[in-house]
Amino acid sequence: MPEPLLKVTGLASGYGDVQVLWGVDLDVNEGEIVCIVGSNGAGKTTLLRTISGMVTARQGEIRFAGENLLNAGPDAVLSAGIAHVPEGRRLFRGMSVKDNLLLGAYLRSDRSEVEGDLDHVFDLFPILKERASQDATTMSGGEQQMCAIARGIMSRPKLLMIDELSLGLAPRLIERLGEGLQAINRHGITILLVEQDVMTAFELASRAFVVETGRIAKSGDTATLSDDPVIRQAYLGA
Amino acid sequence: MDLGQVLANGIVLGALYACLAVGFSLVWGVLNVINMLHGSFIILGGYLTFFAWHLFGVHPLLMLPVVGALLFCLGYFLQAVFINKVVTAPVLTTLTLTFGLDMILYNFMTVYFSATPRQVTLDLGSIDLFGIYLPNERLLGMALALLLTGLLFVTMRSSSIGRAIVAVRMDRFAAALMGIKVNRIYAITFGIGALMAGTAGALFALVYPVTTNLTGIFLGKAFVVCVIGGLGSVPGALVGGLALGLIESISGVVFGPQHSLTVGFVVMLVLLVFRPTGLVGVKGYE
Repeated sequence: MPEPLLKVTGLASGYGDVQVLWGVDLDVNEGEIVCIVGSNGAGKTTLLRTISGMVTARQGEIRFAGENLLNAGPDAVLSAGIAHVPEGRRLFRGMSVKDNLLLGAYLRSDRSEVEGDLDHVFDLFPILKERASQDATTMSGGEQQMCAIARGIMSRPKLLMIDELSLGLAPRLIERLGEGLQAINRHGITILLVEQDVMTAFELASRAFVVETGRIAKSGDTATLSDDPVIRQAYLGA
Repeated sequence: MDLGQVLANGIVLGALYACLAVGFSLVWGVLNVINMLHGSFIILGGYLTFFAWHLFGVHPLLMLPVVGALLFCLGYFLQAVFINKVVTAPVLTTLTLTFGLDMILYNFMTVYFSATPRQVTLDLGSIDLFGIYLPNERLLGMALALLLTGLLFVTMRSSSIGRAIVAVRMDRFAAALMGIKVNRIYAITFGIGALMAGTAGALFALVYPVTTNLTGIFLGKAFVVCVIGGLGSVPGALVGGLALGLIESISGVVFGPQHSLTVGFVVMLVLLVFRPTGLVGVKGYE
């Protein structure tokens, strides 16, 4: 079996005196869609932030495509090929959709190819093309999420991490976003999805990690996990 | 004095004020730092221009890019080495730090350059436009001040570095996720603020005498321009600058020149009460 694209081993991190992650092990293979599920405060967001270098790790290892990325800094992580779409989208207020997308390509110097990638994300989410010159934060929640995902792939990542894809969005929009993600995945981008809505996550992902109080409580194929009585009771309401 | 002349004087002065204040506004808006050094940066730019001309015969226009580059480096250095250490602290901390740095720069300039008012005298002649008398140095200063302010506007709007500066201003967490080195952008922003101050000072020295005694007054004017126009935007500084130029020029005739400074501050106070966002209070840095 080839080495996974992303391999996290024994990762511990937190904020100040508060430790959130207590030895997390996680692996993502190239081409997969993997999800991380768990309740509020379990440490999902902290895990993504530690991988992307926004929170300092205290212990453990993060290997990505053969490179050691532990505490490498957010710009080095992005250059290595991990893009992070943050919770709450965090689009830049007062800036157009196009400028937001261009900021996703901030580290790239191949200007002509960036233009081509703009067309590519406009194909993927046509509404963004219509709204290209509109203030990104004045769009609807679903459109903003599309913009945030598109901004993420403007860096041409190998791995796209998305924090809370579905939060606060209508079911039809979530479906539309899911289709978008699958299209992105078909283009060869591996996806790591953090979700509170386990049903949505399991539909999209082939494998899942269940986080509870800063540790991985369970992991496996989503098909198997969705039959697990404990998971069903805790997360699927059945 | 007739109205045309008063308005013309006001517009010339206002263009210089816009250029003088826009860097202060940028730094305040993006870094949330009230830069007490701004007045000294202006005078330093003016002095460098004057002494290069006076001692070595360097033409002020040739000196303008040199002053810009030197002040940018000074600003970048001060931010990267000192201010970045406390940039996330409450505004009083950074204000105190820049105040301390200003004391050093101000006294350095007074000791080595003295406080004697200095002005570059180019004698470029003047034009007479329907009875309005306009010395060509003033027109040149105004044109260059507007050009520099316009260049900053274009840079902020349509360059990669401009987008990064605005992104950092709006959301430094998300900006870091875009791979933007936030501390480096802070240093570049402070450098640009110093560059605009220095070049504004160089242009001032073509039109009015500059002296270290004016650092506080220039700082005050930058403050007034920001409040009148609206903080953190180039159009805001332009509107605020022109407004202050016209206010000073008109009130100088109506109440006497000794009161023009006071009137500027009074207008600022009135605006703070009735329209605290300024005349063109925009949210984004456009």
